[in-house]
Parts: sequence; structure tokens; C-alpha cells
Amino acid sequence: MTDLRLLTLHGLAVKSAATPEAVAALIGQSPEDVQQALESAVGEGHAIGAKGRFMVTPGGRAWLDENYPQAFAPHRDDSAFTTAADKFERINRDLLALLTDWQSMPAGGERVPNTHTDPDYDRGILDRLGDLHDRAAKVLDRLTAAEPRLEAYVRRLDDAYDKALAGETDYVSGVRVDSYHVVWHELHEDLLRMLGRTREE
Amino acid sequence: MATLTSERVVPLDGSVSPGKDRLGGKADGIVRMRRLGLRVPPAFTIPVTECRRYHQSGGRLDEETWQAVLDGLRWLEQETGRRLGDPSAPLLVSVRSGAPVSMPGMMDTVLNLGMTDEVERALADLAGDPGFARDTHTRFCAQFGKVVLGADVEDPEPGADADSVRAEVVEDSGREVPREPLDQLREAIDAVFASWRSRRAIAYRKHWGISDEGGTAVTVQAMVFGNLGEASGTGVFFTRDPLTGAPEPYGEWLPGGQGEDVVSGTHAVQTLADLAAQLPDVHAELLEAGLVLERENGDVQDIEFTVERGRLFLLQTRSAKRSPAAAVRTAVDFAEAGLVDRMTALQRVTSEQVASVLQPRLAPGAAEAAEVLARGEPACPGVAAGVVVGDSEAADAAAAEGRAVVLVRPTTSPEDISGMIAARAVVTELGGSTSHAAVVTRALGRPCVVGVGTGATAGWSGREVTVDATAGVVYAGRLPTEAVRAEDDPALSRLLEWAREASPVQVVDEPPEGTVDLDASGVGLDPSTPADPARVAELLRGANCARGTVVATPAAADAVLDAGVPAVAAAPGQHPLVLLLHLLQAASRRRATAAGDGA
Repeated sequence: MTDLRLLTLHGLAVKSAATPEAVAALIGQSPEDVQQALESAVGEGHAIGAKGRFMVTPGGRAWLDENYPQAFAPHRDDSAFTTAADKFERINRDLLALLTDWQSMPAGGERVPNTHTDPDYDRGILDRLGDLHDRAAKVLDRLTAAEPRLEAYVRRLDDAYDKALAGETDYVSGVRVDSYHVVWHELHEDLLRMLGRTREE
Repeated sequence: MATLTSERVVPLDGSVSPGKDRLGGKADGIVRMRRLGLRVPPAFTIPVTECRRYHQSGGRLDEETWQAVLDGLRWLEQETGRRLGDPSAPLLVSVRSGAPVSMPGMMDTVLNLGMTDEVERALADLAGDPGFARDTHTRFCAQFGKVVLGADVEDPEPGADADSVRAEVVEDSGREVPREPLDQLREAIDAVFASWRSRRAIAYRKHWGISDEGGTAVTVQAMVFGNLGEASGTGVFFTRDPLTGAPEPYGEWLPGGQGEDVVSGTHAVQTLADLAAQLPDVHAELLEAGLVLERENGDVQDIEFTVERGRLFLLQTRSAKRSPAAAVRTAVDFAEAGLVDRMTALQRVTSEQVASVLQPRLAPGAAEAAEVLARGEPACPGVAAGVVVGDSEAADAAAAEGRAVVLVRPTTSPEDISGMIAARAVVTELGGSTSHAAVVTRALGRPCVVGVGTGATAGWSGREVTVDATAGVVYAGRLPTEAVRAEDDPALSRLLEWAREASPVQVVDEPPEGTVDLDASGVGLDPSTPADPARVAELLRGANCARGTVVATPAAADAVLDAGVPAVAAAPGQHPLVLLLHLLQAASRRRATAAGDGA
């Protein structure tokens, strides 16, 4: 079992400059415990805090890298988990292609920005997102079976998909809300860190 | 000649009246084209009412409806001179859903139904190309497996054989791709009707308050082949240049290309000028059809067509996707030609498109003399310059001091997002136009070049660079840029004039006495929190003019109208046309809401 000290700093590294509440939501722990863990991390020089937000320091990163192999050894040795993570990578490529089609559309051999004025085009992409969301659900089931805290991502992805379907288009690839891409990107980072893999793009 | 008297199947021969509610969107489009005298591959539709009957009978296709479908099929066979499953003259058909409003979760399209082992051999002889026939067969099996049977199978590689795809489908779904053409047709129709009640379609309708009582139509259409015989091929025709908006035909022509079921990379793409040289009558007919459809639909058309033995068939027409520059030019051209009114022209151009056209670009000649540091793939267009920083913290710090920086990273992870917001441009060493970095910068509208190569950015830190993300080039130093002036562009200046006339709120250059400056109130300056419209409206109450960066957002434009402010003054860097379009869009949202409440 990974301890709260590591998990908190891990959550902070995924989220970047974040409040204790945001880290707590990400790792599925109580905000009070996370607040305390973050304050001890500041004491150890692993994090810095300002205006209620915290960030991992270079020393904190080094400490994480040192401790990841042991903390996540069970996952790294679990072939069901790593196979699911491989499938996640495949779906990741499809998602990025889909998001590119959401943001830009082909016009005469080049791509032009999608102005979201063609409802049929957008509905077609949302249809593909729904399809991908279903495919991802199978993979996420296998990941959460081994690491229940990842369920928080599943709920956030469900929410983002739901909002996008209801016409809140910013929830597809927007940066300033918990959009499908924002949540997915964090989950991707989380998995890469757990498994000690590097990002391919 | 078979006649179709049943209400249960409608031949789309131009004698029927259009009507999306009964025929669905796809069939309605075909009928409209037929009524304009344009040639479309023969098709019939099973109307929306049959979908209701299907669900009322507990999810079963009614026997009488199936008999009517068989009559429809015989009519298609007469029209085309081919027969389903007949190797001597094989007919292949497509099956599509067509709800009055398209929605996610509906079964989409299956092509090439009627494909069997015998038909594959016959097609190989007819086309003189066994590879094409085999690939058509395997793609049919994979598509049927995925779309109708819900199997999770990969797209087959070229050269794969149909039996292996069939086996893959059985393994994943436990169901067979039928070998009998009529079984294929019946199962596909069944799947379309069933998809009306798919979980995703129900969820979508619930969100949008669409009744579950409606239903979808099913359209069955003969497939035409651009690869059978001489004087054949397939292509795409834009009635105007979608990149510049110039009123010139633009498109692609693939002689010998099959048509709807596009196989990539097997034929060299030619231009429409080549089509004019090879088949002048077809080219002239195509251009004429383009004019007819432009007039009918009042917009630039993107038309898919196939030529089978010298006969032109239009497969589909829709409003063309276009570049921001083309959007401005065509909106003005259509209004000036009297094809649409000015209000429609203004609604057709978004404020983002105008902002993109007005973006500064490299001054002419600036690039030629400059040192190229790296080239990569353009991910989000635009030009920006700044000092290179290597991480988000440095980008945040520099932006807080008002310095222009360019964020350069090997790849981007979620923790880089604040730096991407703070930077003027982003460059990454790895990744293509579909990387996380590309997706984030496009969402932000931040110029971005990706994939300049591992190690290519070594030693850049602290240097001043210019990123031309439209071309995908990074230059050393700060190159001169040139602002685009609306006054210099005839289309933009007409649009500006019309927008001033139509806008409910005046846009002025100089803020008068009594202007509420929203920037000074700190509203909307923090990019991580969107402005609260109620707060903006509160601040603006009673003001005679509003000014601020935030006004160029939908929420704040709504607030300006809610507060009844008579004028808006442009903030530095804000173009009046961008503000006017935001205000016009806000006004049209209000009208839509008022109409909704009134109904």
C-alpha cells in the first residue's frame, strides 16, 4: 500500500500548482489529511506553498522518482494492469485524433479551425467520443480493480462526457474546466508515473 | 416496371415531397437534389413511422414492412440494371440511418451490402483488379461487424482476406456476418431501428428534450463505382476555394477511384482541370450542378461525386468547411450577389474567424533574411515572439512581469498548462499535430509548433525567437510583424460597415466620460476563471459605455446587453469588428431565448 506521504506528492505532481482540495479529490483522500501531508512535504523541502496552492520542488521530484519503483512495484509486476495501461495508450491516440477533429476540420486538403457552427459535424464527433468513452470504460474497469483511487478519474470523465453531450462544448477539450481532455491528460500522467514510463508525445 | 404503392417504403425519385420529419435528413437531402434535376444514385427510404411500428412490436421488423423493402429492392434493381447477389451484374447497396435531427448513438452507415464470395470474384473480373474486390469484401465484413454486430475489430490491413475478418467478428461478438445478401440487408435495417433506443441516443435526447417517440428512417441506396470501366472516377468539388474564398471551382479528381468507399493511396490525385481535360461534358455538368446547389442552399457547397462510365452521380452535398479568410470573403460575396441577406452573412462569420484573419503576420521579406532555428509541424496557427523559457514556473513568472516568453518543452504534461497559458507561443520537440500539446494550444488559441526534433532546442534558453506557427518554423531573433488592417481588405471593411449598422450596441474608439473600465475592476483578467456574467452586469448597470478585455467573450457580451449599456469602447488590441460580432451573437442568443419562451 502506498502511503499518504507519497500519494499526496504524487497527486500534486500530476496536478501541478494545486489546492489541497484538488489534490485530495485527485487521490481520493480527505482534504484535511492531504493538507497536513502537504505541509509536512513543505517542511521536508519536497513542496512549496503560496496563496493556498502548492507545487512540487525539484527535490520533491527526485524523491518521487526514487520512491516510485517500490511504491508501485505491485502494479509494475501486474501484467493485467500493464496490459490495460497499454490499451489505454492505444485509446489515447484515438482520443487525441478525435480531439484534433473537434478543434479543426478538413477543408480542401488543409485543416481549418472548427467554429462549432455545424451541429452535424459536432454531433458526429460527440458520437465518436461516446464510442471511445465506452471503450475506455472497459479498460478503466481493469485499472480501477487494481487501484481503486483511479475511480475518481472515471467519475470526472463521466461528468465531462455528460456535460459535452448536453451542449457544454468547452467540456470536450477546454483548458479552464474539467474537460474530457484535462481529466484524461491527468489520468495519463498518473499512469505514466505509476509505471515509470515516459510520454511518447 | 414495378410501382411502389406501399406507404411503408418511399422511392426517392423526385416525385416525393421533401420532409425531414417523415424521411429523415439523409433521404430529404436526396429528394431535394432529385427535384433540382440532379442525378443521384437510386435510393429508397423506410420512413420514420416504420421505426415506431418496429418498437411498438417489441423490436421486430414487421413482415409487411419487409415485403415492402423487397419491393423497394426490386425497384432499385430495375433502376440500376443490377441485382443483389447476382455475380453477372451485382448490385451493392449502402444502408444509413436518418433521423429528422442527427444524434450521437445512432447506427451510422454500412457500405457494400450484397457482398459475397461470388460477387467478390465477379467484381474482380469487372474491375480487372482482384485486390480491390478483396479489400472491398474485407472492409464490408469489418464494417458490418463493427456497426451492426458491435464487434470491436481493427480496420483490416490491405490484402487481408474476408474469412479471417469474419472469424475475428465471431470471436469478439459471438455473431456471424451473414453470407446471404438479403440477411445482410435485413439485419442492417434492424440495427438502425434498434439503435434509436441505444443508451447513448436516449441519453442525448434526454439532454436536449427530444421526444423518444420520434424515430429514425432507413435509407437504402445503390452504390455506384468509379472504378468499373472507362471514363470513371470519383472526386470532391468545392464550389469556391475553401482556403481563400475566391469564386473558383476547387477540388480533387481521382480517375478510377471507387467512390464512397475511399481506399487511400491507390490512385494519384488530380485536379478538376484534369477532369475538364478528360471528360469535358462531365466537368461542365458538375459546375452547373454546383451553381444550382449554391443558389438553392445559399452557401458554398462541398460536393462528393462519382463518375461511372461517363455518367455523373452526386453522392452528397453540404455547406463547405472553410478557412477564416474564406469565411469572411464568401459571406460578403454571397450577400453582395443577393444569395443571402446581410444579417445572414454576419451570422456566418464568427468573432474567432475575424480575430484569426486580423492576427499579425510576418512582415514581407522578414523570413528570407532570418536564421531558421528549427522546423516542425504547425499545431495551432499564428505568429508570436519572445524569450525562450524551459518550464512553466519561468513562464508564469515572466508573464506576471509582463514579459513575452515562448515555452519550449520536450513534451507537455498537465503541469505545463499554466505555462502554456502564460506564454505567447509553445514549441515541443516530440509529438505531432495530435499530441496533448497541440490539443491544449488549440484550445487556448496559442501559436504552437510541435515535433521540431529531439535535442533541436538545446541552448535556446534565454534567446529571443519568433515562432511562425502557421508555417511551422522557429526563427532566431524578433522578426518584424505586420498587423492586418480591416480597411485594407475589401471584404472585412464591408463586413465592418454592415456590423455597425446591425449592432444593437455602438462600438466606439475613444471611451467617453462615465465609461466603466472592467479591466480596472479586475474582471476576467485571470485566465483560469471565466467571468461571471451576473457580476459584469452588476458593474455595468447604469453605465453609458463599457470597456475591457472581457467584453470579447460571450458571457460578457450577454452582460452588456442585459445591463442595457448603449456603447462599448475598444480596449487596446481589440478590433471593433470582433466586438461587434460578439454583440451581434449575444443579440441573436437573446432573440432565440425570447422565441423559445414565447413558444
